[in-house]
Amino acid sequence: MVPIAEVIIFGTIEASVYGLLALGFSLVYGVGGILNLSHGLFYLLTGYIIFWTYTTIGIVWAVILALIIIIIVGGLSYLLLIKPLQENHVAILIITFSLGFFVEQFIKVFGDAIPHTVPSFVGGAITILGVPFPSQFFVILIGSFIVIAITGLFISKSKIGKSIRAISQDREAAMLMGINADRTLMYTVMISAALAGIAAVLYVPASSIAPHMGWDVLSNSFAIVIFGGLGSLKGSVVGAFILGYTRSFVNYFIDPAFSALVPIVVIILVLLIRPRGIFGKKEVY
Amino acid sequence: MGVILEVKNLTKKYGGLTAVNDFSFEIKRGEFIGLIGPNGAGKTTVFNLISGFQRPNSGTIRFDGKDITGMAPYKIVNLGVARTFQLVRSFKLLTLLDNISVSCLSSRGKKVAKGHGVDEYASTILASVGLVDKARIPPIILPHGDLRKLQIGKALGTNPQLLLLDEPFSGLSHEEQDVITDLIIKLHDDGVTVFMTGHVLRELMHLVPRVIAMHQGKFIMDGTPQEVAKNKIVLEAYLGKGEVFA
Amino acid sequence: MSAKSLSKGKGRVKKKLSGSKSYLLNWSKTFRGRLTIICLIGLCLIPLLTQNRYYLGIFITAMIFSIFAASWDFLAGFTGQVSFGQAIFFGISGYITSYFIRYLYLPWWASLLIGSLVGVAFGLLIGIPALRLKGPYLGLATMVLGLIMFYTFLNVKFEPWLGGSEGISKIPQISRNAVETYYIHLIFMITSFLILIWIGKSKMGTVFKSIRDDDIGAEASGINLTKYKLIAFMISAFFAGIAGGLFAMHNRGVNPGVFQPLYSFYAIVMASLGGIATISGSALGSYFFWFAAELFSEWPDVSVFIFAIILILVIRFAEHGILKPVLERLKDIWDLVLGK
Repeated sequence: MVPIAEVIIFGTIEASVYGLLALGFSLVYGVGGILNLSHGLFYLLTGYIIFWTYTTIGIVWAVILALIIIIIVGGLSYLLLIKPLQENHVAILIITFSLGFFVEQFIKVFGDAIPHTVPSFVGGAITILGVPFPSQFFVILIGSFIVIAITGLFISKSKIGKSIRAISQDREAAMLMGINADRTLMYTVMISAALAGIAAVLYVPASSIAPHMGWDVLSNSFAIVIFGGLGSLKGSVVGAFILGYTRSFVNYFIDPAFSALVPIVVIILVLLIRPRGIFGKKEVY
Repeated sequence: MGVILEVKNLTKKYGGLTAVNDFSFEIKRGEFIGLIGPNGAGKTTVFNLISGFQRPNSGTIRFDGKDITGMAPYKIVNLGVARTFQLVRSFKLLTLLDNISVSCLSSRGKKVAKGHGVDEYASTILASVGLVDKARIPPIILPHGDLRKLQIGKALGTNPQLLLLDEPFSGLSHEEQDVITDLIIKLHDDGVTVFMTGHVLRELMHLVPRVIAMHQGKFIMDGTPQEVAKNKIVLEAYLGKGEVFA
Repeated sequence: MSAKSLSKGKGRVKKKLSGSKSYLLNWSKTFRGRLTIICLIGLCLIPLLTQNRYYLGIFITAMIFSIFAASWDFLAGFTGQVSFGQAIFFGISGYITSYFIRYLYLPWWASLLIGSLVGVAFGLLIGIPALRLKGPYLGLATMVLGLIMFYTFLNVKFEPWLGGSEGISKIPQISRNAVETYYIHLIFMITSFLILIWIGKSKMGTVFKSIRDDDIGAEASGINLTKYKLIAFMISAFFAGIAGGLFAMHNRGVNPGVFQPLYSFYAIVMASLGGIATISGSALGSYFFWFAAELFSEWPDVSVFIFAIILILVIRFAEHGILKPVLERLKDIWDLVLGK
């Protein structure tokens, strides 16, 4: 049947985009114990910077500019807001939440509240199992797989990646070994911003962008990360695929109205049955 | 005198590291007993396992005949096992009286406090640890010795049968150590079973009649302080670490 | 920090030494007590100055949001749990209250009570799983649930049951008389504040605060963390529900917008501006917010934008809020005027 191909393709697309988003969210939690409530703004802002600039400087430069800006924003949000409040987790939650609001309102005030689209990098369509899919979908697929693979390599091989792993395994031991925890966390937030930015670069041309979307990005990332186990990178990717396929399945075979409910159902069930998530290793206490 | 605490084949692993390895011992009701070993021997882990803050990989812990392995910490407290922490913990923004009141509001504490009223009961405990004149101040401005007293007071609020004291002397001056020592002796005289750790032998030697020694997560020996002090493995463990031994 | 908690400690001593009656007397003689009494008398007298429905409406909105912000502050300030989905309880109670008034013709107060209790039930639904874990899961889980409620109530598919984007409209107001409505809200606000402050000062409040200060220590003191956190969460949900029901009646209707993260943001902004863990600071924050919002009534997005900036600055540079400290400064001026 035709829908099967669509379910799988759409599921894979969503999964790979959310994989990118959840990966960054989970990394920051693993390294700093921080749930970054402004995670959605990285996605949102990248999308809008491209939307605002591509007509004047062209899509390629718009993408490069957006990614550079978002990495700087990530670094600054850590240096100016998160780092000074490190002792106070409640304050970090509130301030990142406000930051998310700030960006949403910024876009509403200086732009508008209606959804916008950005043109695809590639035109045309590719037909699979008799169903034509926009070529952009395959850009998303290939792009996100490459980025996830590079991130994995980076975390396991590079020097920064090694300090990231060290800090998330045992912060105090890593600091005794001379690793600068603050700087590592800053890099992690910047990587997280970059991953969310790349997700936007790939996915926004295939969908649309509106100011409220940051919260959807955040809630889906959170659901995935809870599912996969907070701080587990493998868990984020696997969680993203399971969530992506579930949503896509519910969309086609049950009702699109229910697919929005998937994240909260996932969160509640996982917390009830296996609070650590499928790949979580940290003890409850 | 019956057995109040029975620990059997307790094992706790962190990844590749075995913090507590097949550890067994018994404590009789009313005993006064020490757990010694150099830093990193696994003493605190044993306490965390008994008090439920960590789950063992294997082994059983029985309190008063009841299996408490892996039970939630607050439930264990309410059965009558209270503990203090090596690093002092307190409710920073509450007065000392309220710090103690919290324990008196646990389901076990409440039963005792019922007749007197929680505040009254909490002040009695504050008096017994010698902090009654500071009832109205918050702990953030207390000297370290008083914080140690507060730890014990908080544990007493739950009306324990077995009191686990994790390094009650750490960071104290000699005078302060003496005060805490008197306090612990008084508690034991009142009928509380006391089980305490220490990494410097001197503190414990004159205090307890029985000592369990552990090293690298393993049980080494169980005996009087004099016997333990003669044990070769104990001596090596301490001398190897360069600890002061008197 | 230390000085502040010290004065709190002293406040408790006074209470314990002299009993509650003379405690009230003493309190009324303190600067804070006098200020509170003056503010309350002021609020009682407002309808003498104006009976204009619009102006009274601003005050009523501020009172409703005082309760809402206080419900958030109670949870965050006393138990250290942050909810980013306080809008769930606000919204669900708004819907249930409206539904019972509009379709089952129940009196408003009964509907309001039912609405708030359903809010509490939702609190349990999300609280039981989320509180199984330590850490800030509750905050995010509530936010996700709020967002999903927003989409669900907005959804065209569910319109026959949930009312779609129109929600429920044409609900009668509490009273046709604006002044009467004003006083009913004032009573709700004062009662809610008294209850929340009383719980904060009670033995249960002591346990809540112990969990906030040191959860491991509280557990070692034999406290069942999950139980107490859940109780605090339910109390918070109840008062958020009261606010939501009043808001629905005040606006003569309710729509899915109440579930937006924006409403949770309102509560956080107001409580943080006033000063977290003060309860009464929420009222200050709420009045400040709505009077300021009145200036920007033409551009509502701008006012939220500005408040997002203010909130970031407040949390970053003045953890204890700004309005309470400013008022404490006022004491110096007060003393000066009295020639002390």
